[in-house]
Amino acid sequence: MTAREAVRGLVVVIVALLLQLTVMLDIRVAGAHPDVMLGLAAVAGLVGGSERGALVGFASGFAIDLFLPTPLGLTALIGTLIGAATGQLATSGVQRSHPVFVVGVAALGSGIGVIMFAVLGTVLDQPDMLTARLSAAVIVVAVTNGILGYPLTWACRWAFGQEPSTTVWRGTLVSGDAP
Amino acid sequence: MARSRRTRRTLVLIGVLVLVAIALITFDERHGTSRITSGVRSVAHDVFSPIVTGVDDVLRPVGNFFAGSVHYGSLEQENQRLQATIGQMQLQLREVQGEAKQQRELRAIEHLSYLPDDKTVIAQTINVDPSNFAADITISKGRDQGVTLGDAVVAGGGLIGQVVEASHTTATVQLIVDPRSAVGVAYGPTNQLYGQAFGQGTGRGLSVQFVSSNTVVHRGEKMYTDGLNNAQLPQGIPVGWVRSFHASVGGASTQVIIDPLANMSQLAYVAVVQWSPGL
Repeated sequence: MTAREAVRGLVVVIVALLLQLTVMLDIRVAGAHPDVMLGLAAVAGLVGGSERGALVGFASGFAIDLFLPTPLGLTALIGTLIGAATGQLATSGVQRSHPVFVVGVAALGSGIGVIMFAVLGTVLDQPDMLTARLSAAVIVVAVTNGILGYPLTWACRWAFGQEPSTTVWRGTLVSGDAP
Repeated sequence: MARSRRTRRTLVLIGVLVLVAIALITFDERHGTSRITSGVRSVAHDVFSPIVTGVDDVLRPVGNFFAGSVHYGSLEQENQRLQATIGQMQLQLREVQGEAKQQRELRAIEHLSYLPDDKTVIAQTINVDPSNFAADITISKGRDQGVTLGDAVVAGGGLIGQVVEASHTTATVQLIVDPRSAVGVAYGPTNQLYGQAFGQGTGRGLSVQFVSSNTVVHRGEKMYTDGLNNAQLPQGIPVGWVRSFHASVGGASTQVIIDPLANMSQLAYVAVVQWSPGL
């Protein structure tokens, strides 16, 4: 990751954080609200590969961790793993450009992230994580991040400096990927 | 070869990030080092809170619009233009209702009979439940205004929570319904019976433990903060009223469920009680 990419990535993370702490907290369904930071981690891996996905996932997770009552580093850990995992998909030769795939990865990655958050939180003695509320959180986060998959992809493409002619949409390899 | 080197580099990076995250969690969980992470959080709150407040003012109509759309799903079959119109009308209505509601809350907080006037700080709620798994709010007053860790926070009807994190300009309040919350309560004819009220999550009331099976409890009975030795909260703040009670397994004690007296869904303004155990 170049310095330019790092700065742009930081801008994307900060904008996502501000959206999360404002608009997203106003949207509540069954007591749960969207989590755009997990979606950003999932999409960053898909667009930029494992390395960038892990870095953006860590940064976005750490940023939101600063405002959560759960242990600092918990979301950063989840974000790193989700970003790295979706980055593996980016190098596996699957059709990343397919809209269903982008939406699916954003939704599925986020949903798995919420479940991992609850499980690891329980391991760390955080109460009331594995309850009925978890299913509501998984569904809300997965659906909203599926919807936000495209905007998040654009943001990540801008951050990683991917020109339209060399984007993942056409299946071209990105810097850091295995050939 | 180059591919192998790149893959190894990526794996090392991921490993380092995972280790850093685990180290952060460990630091945060350990009593000796949690002050460091708490300080980092405090700085982040100080830096971001004014920005978040500004952005929130600008984007609130957008959030309200989406929230309105989500909660009025039955209108989905209406046409697009009608939905937009309804959304705008809902937004305007909510703004008017919201202002009136906030004024009522503020007036109620200013006349809380159980609090000394000179020892409270009125604060606005900035954020509600930033996590999907906890019941916390962020308020607009912090250490600079005298808000400190452990301060009780009340709204019109009674206790709503306790300050668990304080930066210079904001504070995080753990609500009494949060599963990590435990409040000592007193009840009975002369408030000489005691128990411990544990949060069970939003909308689920509080579970009062350590109530003897011989104790007579009445539905609707009020419970107050106990103010016992080592208590973290001042005595006599209303906490909740008894919704239900039943004998626990084995019959040795009675489990009591209480509902908060404060309206936990109307927390636009709250009062922080500046109290410490020696006062």
